[in-house]
Amino acid sequence: MKNAQWKGQALHPREDRRFVTGRGLYLPNLSFPKMLHAAILRSIHPHARIVSIDVAEALKIPGVVCALTGEQARALSKPLRPLIPLPVETPYYCLAYEKVRYVGEPVVAVAAVSRYVAEDALEKIRVEYEPLPAVVDPEAAMKPGAPLLFEPLGTNILWHDRFTYGDVDGVFSRAAHVFSERFFIHRYSSTPLETFGCIASYDNSRRYLTLWTNDQRPGQAMPILAHSLGLSITQIRFITADIGGGFGNKRKPPYLVLAALLSRLSGRPVQFIEDRRENLMALVHACNGVMELEVAVGEAGRLLGVRVRDIADEGLNVLNPTVHSLLKLGNVTNCYEIGAVGFEGYSVMTNKCPSGANRGIGKPFMCLALERMLDNIARRLGRDRIELRRQNLVPPELMPYTTPTGELIDSGNFPETLNKLLALIGYESFRKEQEKARFQGRWLGLGLALAIEPSTSNQSSYILTSGRRNASGAGEAAMVRVESDGSVQVVLGDVGSGQGHQTAAAQIVADELGVGFEAVQVSPYFDSLVSPWLYTTGNYSNKFAGTDVGAIQGAAKKVGEKLLSLAAHLLEASAEELELAEGAVRSKKDPNIRKTLQELAQVAYRDLLALPAEMEPGLEGRCYYRAALADLPDEQRRVRGQLFVSNAGHAAVVEVDIDTGRVSILKYAIVHDCGTVLNPVIVEGLVHGATAHGIGAALYEEFVYDEQGQPLNTTFVDYLKPTAVEVPDFKTDHLESPSPYTPLGMKGVGEGGAIPAPAAIANAVENALEPLGVRLSDLPLTPERVWRAIHSAKKKS
Amino acid sequence: MKAPDLVPVSLEVNGIRFEGDVEPRKTLADFLREELGFTGVNLGCEHGVCGACSVLLDGAVVRSCILLAVQADGCKITTIEGLAREEKLHPIQQAFLDHHALQCGFCTPGMVLAAVDLLKRSPHPTEIQIREALSGNLCMCTGYVNIVRAVSAAAERIQTAEKP
Amino acid sequence: MKPAPFHYYRARSLQEALDLLSGPAANGKLLAGGQSLIPLMNLRLARPEALIDLNNIPGLSSIRSAGAEIRIGALTRHREMEFSALLAKELPLLAEAIPQIGHPAIRNRGTLGGSLAHADPAAELPCVLTALDARMVATAPDGERVIRAEDFFTGFYATALADNEILKEVRIPLDRRPAGWGFVEFARRHGDFALAEASVLLFADDAGDRCTSARVVVGGSVERPVRVGGVEKLIQGEISLNTQASSLAHVLQRVEQLTETEIQSSIAGGENPDYLCHLTGVLARRALESAMERWRKA
Repeated sequence: MKNAQWKGQALHPREDRRFVTGRGLYLPNLSFPKMLHAAILRSIHPHARIVSIDVAEALKIPGVVCALTGEQARALSKPLRPLIPLPVETPYYCLAYEKVRYVGEPVVAVAAVSRYVAEDALEKIRVEYEPLPAVVDPEAAMKPGAPLLFEPLGTNILWHDRFTYGDVDGVFSRAAHVFSERFFIHRYSSTPLETFGCIASYDNSRRYLTLWTNDQRPGQAMPILAHSLGLSITQIRFITADIGGGFGNKRKPPYLVLAALLSRLSGRPVQFIEDRRENLMALVHACNGVMELEVAVGEAGRLLGVRVRDIADEGLNVLNPTVHSLLKLGNVTNCYEIGAVGFEGYSVMTNKCPSGANRGIGKPFMCLALERMLDNIARRLGRDRIELRRQNLVPPELMPYTTPTGELIDSGNFPETLNKLLALIGYESFRKEQEKARFQGRWLGLGLALAIEPSTSNQSSYILTSGRRNASGAGEAAMVRVESDGSVQVVLGDVGSGQGHQTAAAQIVADELGVGFEAVQVSPYFDSLVSPWLYTTGNYSNKFAGTDVGAIQGAAKKVGEKLLSLAAHLLEASAEELELAEGAVRSKKDPNIRKTLQELAQVAYRDLLALPAEMEPGLEGRCYYRAALADLPDEQRRVRGQLFVSNAGHAAVVEVDIDTGRVSILKYAIVHDCGTVLNPVIVEGLVHGATAHGIGAALYEEFVYDEQGQPLNTTFVDYLKPTAVEVPDFKTDHLESPSPYTPLGMKGVGEGGAIPAPAAIANAVENALEPLGVRLSDLPLTPERVWRAIHSAKKKS
Repeated sequence: MKAPDLVPVSLEVNGIRFEGDVEPRKTLADFLREELGFTGVNLGCEHGVCGACSVLLDGAVVRSCILLAVQADGCKITTIEGLAREEKLHPIQQAFLDHHALQCGFCTPGMVLAAVDLLKRSPHPTEIQIREALSGNLCMCTGYVNIVRAVSAAAERIQTAEKP
Repeated sequence: MKPAPFHYYRARSLQEALDLLSGPAANGKLLAGGQSLIPLMNLRLARPEALIDLNNIPGLSSIRSAGAEIRIGALTRHREMEFSALLAKELPLLAEAIPQIGHPAIRNRGTLGGSLAHADPAAELPCVLTALDARMVATAPDGERVIRAEDFFTGFYATALADNEILKEVRIPLDRRPAGWGFVEFARRHGDFALAEASVLLFADDAGDRCTSARVVVGGSVERPVRVGGVEKLIQGEISLNTQASSLAHVLQRVEQLTETEIQSSIAGGENPDYLCHLTGVLARRALESAMERWRKA
C-alpha cells in the first residue's frame, strides 16, 4: 500500500456519535407490527425429571397467544448439533426435554402481546418435577456413582485426553527441581450491558425466516439455525443490530430456534430478550475448574518442562465443550521457552449453567496458574522473580518460534515488554516504598504477569478434541464498492460490538484506494443477503487483525486494480504509470492527468459502452480471505490453535488492609504489543476494558452455587461488577512488533487485558503479604478470603 | 374507592407534552421506550443497579427502571435524546466523543446523564468525586478511564464557557 | 423482569393514605422512593395487591429545627438531606453517612421514611438514627405515637409500625452536642450495602476533655442495629482528650475485641460469622478513632 495516510491515525470512532445521542440501533429498539414478546419458564431444580407440563391456565390469559414445550420443540425441530460427537446421542433442543439439568434451564416458552403479560402467563404454568440428586463439583462429577446428567452416556466426562510433546517424563525425572501446585478458577462472565436476544419473523406462506439478533457469530449461527429448523440457508435472512457488548457471550442458538418456532406457531414476529436474571443464571459462564500444574526446573533456573492436569467444569454444555481446554493447551508455555509439555485435560458436565466463550476463554486461568507458579518457584529457589522470568523468555531472535504444542509465536519482544513494564510501574523504587510502608503499618505489594495474547482461532484445532474435521482455518469476507457517485461502500462479514470496526475498516480502505476517510462508509450491520460471509464470519478471538483486515484490504485491492485498469483504458496509458491518490487515478509523472473516482464510476455504471471490451460494468470487489499460518494438526498433534500472537505485561501495586482483607489497587501498569497499531484510540480503549474484566474476575466477580446446585447470585446486587471506583486509572505503554504474517502487521487486541490481569493482582497480593507467609488459593480475592488467608497464616506461625 | 385499571398521566418528555392513560405497573423506562419511542433509554438490569436506564426527572438523575410511569405525573423528563440542541451536542456528549469514552455505547446515555447531574451539583469535581458519582453506572467496555477523562474535560469546558 | 399487576392509589393527603391502608388497599404497600420496593416488584419477589403512592402528599418533606430537636419529614429525599446546611451543621454524623447511601440516582428518589420503614440492617440510616437516639413519629387512624429508634427496628426488614400506621416524621434531639462523632462503613464496592458499619458519638463534660458517655451502634450483617452497651461503658470510663497514645491504643484494641464478642449473638452471617464479627469490631474501632480525631480537632 503506497498511501499510509490513515493507518496509525488516532481517529475517534465515528460510530460513537450515534451512541452518544442515544440513536444506537440495538436489538431491543427494534419493533415490528404485531410483534409478540416471549418469556421463558425456567427450571427451579438443578436436576430433575419433568413429569408433566400444563399450560392450559396460562393460555387463558388475555394477550397470551401460544406456548411451546420441549416435547413440541422436539417434534418441530432437529436437535442442535454438538461440536464434540459423543458415543451416545444426547439430543439437545431449545427447551428441556424429559429432564432439566441446571437451575435456569428453559422449560416452557410463551409468546404474548407484551413481556408483562408473558411473565403473567409463566406464573400460571404448572410443571411437575421429580427432583434428582445433583452434582455441582467437577471432581465429584467425575467419580463413579455421581449423578449422571445423561444416563445413557454413562459418565459426566465429555472429553478426556492426554497430549505429550517432547520427552516429558524424562525431563521431569532428570530435573534438578520439580514444583507442583493446585490452582482453582471460579465461574465468572463478561456480562455485556445489553443482554442477548432476537426477533424472529417466520413467514409460513413461503417458509422463510427473517431473524434480527445481537448474535456475534452469524457465520456459525446460520447453519445451526437452518439445520435445526429444517430450512436451507437460502430460507433464512439473518440480520444483526448494533451489539451492546459481546466479549464472546452473545451466542445462544437455542434461543434463536425458540423464537423462530414461536413465530412459526403464532404467525407473528416474536421477540425474545433475556432479562438480567436470566442472563446471569443461564446464558454462559466461563468454565470453573481445577488445575494441577507441575514445572520442572533446571539447576540454573531454566524452565525445562510443564505438566498439567486440568479439569474444566462446563456445566451443561454438550454443544461446544473443550474450547477452554484447547486454549489452555495452546497457551501452556506462555512467553517462555519451555521444551517439554504434558497436558491432560478433562471436560466435565455438572448441573450448572452451560460454559462458553468469555473474554479470554481459558487463557486467563492458564496465565494465572503459570505466573503464580513462577513467583512461587522464584521464592523457593531464592531467585529474583523478574530474573527468573527474564532468563526464560523466548527471545526475539528465535521468532517465529514454535512452541512444543505447535503454536507459532510469530513476533514480539518479550524482554523489552518486561523492561518497559518495570519502568512504568516503578519497580526499582518500589522495594523502598514497600519497606517504608510496612514501617507505617501499611501492606503494599507489587505483582506482575506476562502473557501471550494470541488471536484468530484456527478452526482446525477442534479436530484435536472432536476427532472430526468440521471446519478448518480462519477466514473472513468483505466487499468494497465504489458507488456511482464515487463514494466508497464497505460491507464486512464480521460484526462489531464496540471495537470501532466501522472506523478501522474505513481507514484501511481509504489508504488502499487513496481516498479521504470521510468518503468511505462502512456498514455496521450484518445482513446475510448483503454481507459476504463464511462459517468463520463473526466477532471472536480478536480476529479482526488476522482475518478481517485481509478481507477488507483484499476487496479494496480488487477494486483498486479495476480502477487503475479502467483509468488506463480511458487515459490511454498503462496501469503501471498510474496511481490512486486524492480520490482519483492519476499519472505518477503528471498529477493533472487524472480521472476522479466519480468519473470512473460514471463509466462503470452508466456509460457502459466506454468500458474496455473485456471489462464488466460496476466497481465492486469481494474478498473471501483466508488467514496465513492456519494449519492442520500434525501426527504429533501439534497445531496452531490461534494465530498472530500479541503479548502484554501487567503490573499492579496493591494495598491490603490486614484488618479487613480489602485489596485496593494503587497503581496499574500495562505494556502491550499488538503489532501495527491501526488506530491507537481504539486499541487503548480495548486494552483498558479487557483489563477491567480481569480486575473484576480477580477481586469481585464470582457465580456461586450452593451444594444443592442453586445459584446464589443472579442479579447485579450480588454479582459484583467493578465500578468506576474499583477500577483504577491505567498507565499504559506499548511496543509494536508487527506480525510478518498479516497484511498490515496487526495482531489481535480485544481480549488481551483479561488474560494477565488476574495473575498480576494475585501476585501483588501475595507479595504484599509475603512477610506473613500467606498463600492464596481461590479467586476472587474477596476481603473475607484474604482475611482468612492472613488469619490462618498467623495461626500457623 | 376502586382503583382504575389505567391511570391518567400528564408529563413532559424532552419538551414534548404527553397526556394519556397508563397501566400502573408500567415502568417509566418501558413507557419512555415503548409509548414515546425514546429508545435511548436502555435496559441493562431492571433492578436499579446498572444505571443504563438513567434519565433526568425534574433535572435530577434517576433510574427509570425502578420508577413507575404513573409516578412521573406532572414531571419534566429529559432522556439522552433531549440533551443535544438539534445538531449541537451538550458539552458532556462532545467530551465523550473527544475522549472515546464509549465503545458499544449501551451505558452511554445513562452515563452522560449521570455526569450532567454531577456537574450541576459539583462544577469542579476531582477525579475521585467523578468516579464516586459515576459508580452507579456500570460500563463493561471501557474500564472507565476515558469516561473519567471526558467528564473532567467537560467540567473544564463548561466552566470556561460560563466565565464572563 | 416486569412487575405483577396491582391497584394503584395516589394519596393526596396523609388522611387519605391512612383511609386507603385501612380500607380498599389493606393488603397494599406504601410507595415512597421505591428504590427498594420496585426492584423487588420487578423481580416478582414482592407482589403487593396495591400500592399507595405517598409522593404527592404535601407537607411531608421538610428539614427544620424545632426547639431542641431537628425534625425531618418522612418523605424528605436523601438528596435533600445530603445538601442540607442545617443537617451539616447540627447533625454531622448524619451528614457523614448520607453520601454513602447508594448512588446519586438512588438518593434523588429514596426517602428517609422509606429507608426506615424498609429497615434493612445493612443500610446506613437505621444505624445512624439509632445512634442519634431518633424518635419516629407514626400516624394511624386512631392518632399519633412516638417510637424511639431502639424500639423501632425489631428485626430483619421489620419495624414496630403496625399495618395501618404510616411514618410521618423523624425527630432527632439536639440537647446534647457530641464532642466527637464518626461513621464508618465497609462495603464490597462504593455504594453497596454495608457488610458492617459503626456509628460512634462521644459526649464530653463541661470542661470538654473527659468523655462522660458514648453511643456506639453497629449494623451491617445483623438483624437490626445493635447498641454495643459494653463498649459504650468501656469508652466512658477510659477515654479523655489527655489519654496517652499507648493507653488509647490499648483501649481501641479492647473496643474492637469487645465489639467482636458482644456482636456474636446478633450476627446473621451464614456458616462462618467470625469474619463478620471481626469486621464489625474493626469498624467500631475505626469509628471511634474518627470520633477521637474530631474531638481533638475541635
